[in-house]
Amino acid sequence: MQTKIIDAESSRIIPNFKELYRYRDLFLTLSWRDFRVRYAQTSIGLLWAFLQPVITLLILSLVFGRFVGVKTLVPHLLFTIAGMSIWTYFSYVMANSGNSIIASQEMIKKIYFPRLIIPLSKAVVGLIDLGITLLILIILMIYYGIVPSSHVWLAPFFILVGMIAALGAGIWLSALTVRYRDFQHVVPFIVQIGLYITPIAYPAEFATRQLPKWAAALYYLNPMAGVVQGFRWSLFGGEAPGNLFWVSLVMVLILFISGLFYFHKVEDDMADYV
Amino acid sequence: MNKELAIRVEGLSKKYTIGKQKDGSLRSSLGNLFSLKNSNSENFWALKDVSFEIQKGDVVGIIGKNGAGKSTLLKILSQITKPTKGRIEIYGRVASLLEVGTGFHPELTGRENIYLNGTILGMTRKEVKTKFDEIVAFSGVEKFIDTPVKHYSSGMYVRLAFAVAANLEPEILVIDEVLAVGDGEFQKKCLGKMQDIANHGRTVLFVSHDIETITTLCSKGILLDKGTIKEIGEIQNIVRTYTDHYQDSFKIWEHDKRPGDNIIKLNKVFIVDSEQNQIYQANIDQKFGICVEYEVLEDDVKPAPNYHFFTNTNTYCFVAILDTEILSKGIYRAITWVPPHLLNNQDYRIGVAFTTQKNVHIHLYEKEIISIKIIENKSIRKHEYGGAIPGTVRPDLKSEIKKIN
Repeated sequence: MQTKIIDAESSRIIPNFKELYRYRDLFLTLSWRDFRVRYAQTSIGLLWAFLQPVITLLILSLVFGRFVGVKTLVPHLLFTIAGMSIWTYFSYVMANSGNSIIASQEMIKKIYFPRLIIPLSKAVVGLIDLGITLLILIILMIYYGIVPSSHVWLAPFFILVGMIAALGAGIWLSALTVRYRDFQHVVPFIVQIGLYITPIAYPAEFATRQLPKWAAALYYLNPMAGVVQGFRWSLFGGEAPGNLFWVSLVMVLILFISGLFYFHKVEDDMADYV
Repeated sequence: MNKELAIRVEGLSKKYTIGKQKDGSLRSSLGNLFSLKNSNSENFWALKDVSFEIQKGDVVGIIGKNGAGKSTLLKILSQITKPTKGRIEIYGRVASLLEVGTGFHPELTGRENIYLNGTILGMTRKEVKTKFDEIVAFSGVEKFIDTPVKHYSSGMYVRLAFAVAANLEPEILVIDEVLAVGDGEFQKKCLGKMQDIANHGRTVLFVSHDIETITTLCSKGILLDKGTIKEIGEIQNIVRTYTDHYQDSFKIWEHDKRPGDNIIKLNKVFIVDSEQNQIYQANIDQKFGICVEYEVLEDDVKPAPNYHFFTNTNTYCFVAILDTEILSKGIYRAITWVPPHLLNNQDYRIGVAFTTQKNVHIHLYEKEIISIKIIENKSIRKHEYGGAIPGTVRPDLKSEIKKIN
C-alpha cells in the first residue's frame, strides 16, 4: 500500500529520485512521442532542421578555415564538424528542454507526475540528429583518410557529458521560464554567443594562448568548452586537454546538480504559474 | 465491517494571488525586491481550513456552486498544486481524471496515444499492454486505432480518452466533471464503469453539478461554499441542503415565494441543451437555452423576458431583450437560445427580468439568479493556439485571406 503525505509546512530539499525512477516508462513514452512527432513532420521541416547547422558549419569553416587561416591538426571542415556535432546537440536539447515546461502547460495543470520527466525526456530525440551528423563525420574521416585516435573509446563519454550539460542548462531554463517568461529570449542569445566562445571552429589553445592565466580559467567556465575540446581530442588525438579542462567538467556537474535542486524547489508551484 | 482510512485532510487552505500571478516578468520581480511598497496584488483563498476524512470504499460526491473550491480541492488531492496550509494523508495509489485526454497528441495514432496517455496517468507500459484490448473495446474506435487522432471526431476522441482513464486500477479515483463531454449513451457507459469501480471497494471522489448522477453514484457527500465545508455526511442530506440553498444551475420557487407582481410571477428558471434536457454547463460550440416558466395573472398583457449576463468577476457582458406576443392568463414556458461561439469558456451568472417595454414597467428582476459554466474541448480548436483565451465573449470570426501582390 502506497502512503502519501502532503504537508504544506514541510518540504523535501532533496529531489525524489525514487519517484522519478517509478515513472521511467513515462520518460520513454515522452521521448518516443517527440521522436515520432518530429518524423511525422514534413520532409521539408526536417530538411530545414539540418540546413541550419550545415550552413553554419560551412560559414564557420569558410571564415575560420579560409579567411582567418586557422591551422588545425585535421582538415578544418572535419575539425569544425566534430565540434559542431556535439554543440548542435547541446543547443538543441537545451532549447527544447528549456521550453518544455511551458510547452506542456496543459498537461501540468491537469495531472500529476514528476515534472522533471518533461525536460529530461528532451535529451533523447536530439540523439537522432547527432547520430546523423556523426555519420557524416565518419564519411568525411574516411574521405580525408584520417585514422581515429587511440582515445576514441572516450567519445561516448564526452557525448554523455555534453548531454548532462545540455540537461543542466535546460532544467534551469525550464524552471526559470515558468516564473520569468523573459528567459524564453535567453536561449537564442546563449546559442549565438556560445558558438563563438566555445572552441568549435578554432582550437581552444588559440583562445587560452591570448589570455592571461585567470582569464583562461574563465574561458573554461563555459561547460561546453571542455566538452567540445575533449570530444575532438578523443576523435583525432593531438595535444591532450590541459588542467583547465577540468574546470569545464566541474561546471557541468555544478550546472546539472544545482539545476535539479532549483527545479525541485519550484516544482510544486508550477501548476499555479503556467 | 471495520473500515480503513483512505484520505485524511486537516486544516487545508489554498491561497492564490490575483493580479500578480500571471505577470511573471523578471523586471516586476526585481522591482518588488527593491521597493518596499507592496504590489497591487490581492490574495484569494480558494480553500479555507478544510478538514475531513474519507474511508476506504466510500464514493464521495463533492458539490457546490461554481467557484466554491471543488476543483482546487481535487487539484490538491491529485498533487497538481501544493496547499498553502494544512496536511493530507492519502493511503493508496491516486489516479485523477480532471480532463480526458491529457497529453493526447494529434499527430499520433490512437494506439500510440493510449500508451502515451496511460503512462502519463501513471501506468507502466506493461500495464497498458495488458489492458490494451479492454481499452480499445470500451472506446469503440477499433477501426481507427492506427489512424492519427487528429482525424477523429470529437466524440471518438473523448471516448478513447475516457477508455484509457476508466481502465486504470487505482485505489483512489479522483474525477472532475469530465463526463459532460460526449454523447448521452457514452455517458451512461462511463457512469456504469464508475459504478463498477466503486463496487470493487475502491474509493471515488467525484465532482459534478449533476445531482441525479451524484445521488445514484455516491454514498457520502461534501458541500463546499466559498472555500469552506458547509456540510458533510450522507449524500441525501447533502443534496437536500444544496438544492435548498446553494443550487444555482436552476431555480424553483415555492408558490408563495415567487418573485413578480400582480401581472406575472416567475416559477422556475433553468438551462437546457438543444434537446431540451436540463444542463448546468455547455460546450463552447453548443447552443443552450435559458428556460423560464411563469404564470401570467391577467389577460391582454405583454411582459417579455430579458436576460442580464455577467462574468464571475462582475463584468456586465450584455443584456438580451426579447419580444413577446400579447398574453392571456395561464402558465407559460419560454426558451431563449444562446448561440454557440458567443460566450467564452468561463462561468457566467445570468439575471432574469420581466418587463413591459411600452411603458418601461419592471415586473421583476432576479439578479444573477442562475449560473452557467461554458466549457471547451481544446482539441477541436480550429487554430493552433492552445493557451487560455481572455475576454468576456468569444465569437468565432471568419477571415478571408487573399494574395494581393
